[in-house]
Amino acid sequence: MSYYLRLLFIIFSVTYGVAQEKNEIEKRVKKDEIPNQAKEWLEDAFEQERRTKWYYQTDGEKQGYEAKLKQNKHLHSVEFDMEGKVENIEIKIKEDEIKEEAYQTIFDYFKSNYIRYSLKKIQIQYTGESDDLKDLIDEGEIENLVINYEIEYYGKTDKDNTLWEGLFDADGRLIEKRYVNLKLTDNLDY
Amino acid sequence: MRIYIYIIGLLLFSSSYAQENQTTFGLFPEASLSYKLLKNYSITHKFESQHGFYDSENLNKELEYEHTLTDLQTFIGRRITPFIKVDIGYQYRIEEGENTHRTIQQVSILQRESHFRIGHRVRIDQTFFNKASLLFRARYRIKGQIPLQGESLDNGENYLSISNELIYMIQSGEDDLENRLTAALGFYIDDKNKFEIGLDYRTDDFLVKDRFRHRIWLKFGYYKTL
Repeated sequence: MSYYLRLLFIIFSVTYGVAQEKNEIEKRVKKDEIPNQAKEWLEDAFEQERRTKWYYQTDGEKQGYEAKLKQNKHLHSVEFDMEGKVENIEIKIKEDEIKEEAYQTIFDYFKSNYIRYSLKKIQIQYTGESDDLKDLIDEGEIENLVINYEIEYYGKTDKDNTLWEGLFDADGRLIEKRYVNLKLTDNLDY
Repeated sequence: MRIYIYIIGLLLFSSSYAQENQTTFGLFPEASLSYKLLKNYSITHKFESQHGFYDSENLNKELEYEHTLTDLQTFIGRRITPFIKVDIGYQYRIEEGENTHRTIQQVSILQRESHFRIGHRVRIDQTFFNKASLLFRARYRIKGQIPLQGESLDNGENYLSISNELIYMIQSGEDDLENRLTAALGFYIDDKNKFEIGLDYRTDDFLVKDRFRHRIWLKFGYYKTL
């Protein structure tokens, strides 16, 4: 009985986001082009000097800068607005690093919505104020931060055979999802 | 910059063999046109043509032009998942002596990495001749596409394309191996228009005694999708 109740709960709690397309453009930029505020925040938070790659990115509407660097063997992507104010941090993680409170709900969603699925990329995303994000990096403290999971996954249904990017909240509930448009493979296939 | 190193490497490698073995050089234009048929199904037409300008053994040793061959291909493909595609195809080859028919079956697998992507292609084909027996070939190609600006490829950017293909062939009980190495600079105009220019270095007759052949082609190809 409790199994069915849980299943019902999951089905009703799933939010079906409007299916949008993911179409981002990013370009490598030199460190000199990055606002000082962003560079200073990064040096403060990560303390030691790290090899950092800077990018400019836009999805057509919103634009900003992104720093990519490694810490504790995890790839970190730090997003800044055009003025250099930090907005969020995404850390690439493995399946078993999804926090316990989210894990079950996320996988129940995949199991109940797809005949077959496979996870391609998982990122844990922390959003919050500049100081709280800094505390996360230099002290490992999670305070006043919104936690989401950005998961790129392949899901097969009776009708569909698609690559998705789903955003799940800290409890593992789906907030929204969008198609990932893979680039054409004509020059790789023929 | 990297592409020049590859090209120079290819030329140096091949020129050291050139005196003892048969070497040919020529132009190799190709173009493909793809379009969707139904959901998950697509059609691709491809034209490729080899034009020899130099041959260390044959007639045009003194830089004479020779039309080597022209291939006309059509494929019907079905996408099984976003990463796997299967195709069946037909090729008509126009060549001096005898024009041939070929049937082709292939599976393409896309592998994505954070900075580049790799296409794996496993293909088998059968060539039918009037006067000779069936030629059967099994081939595997690996092709990498590496953006030269940023992490992913955006409109107007360039990429480096490197591929290697190993071909096993058998006809009337005699078999041979061929290898095709290419290095090209790609122009990503947009996702539906790509242009690649580079060198295609082919070696064959590995298993034929006292014979080894090199062919170097200046290859340029346009990939168009509707």
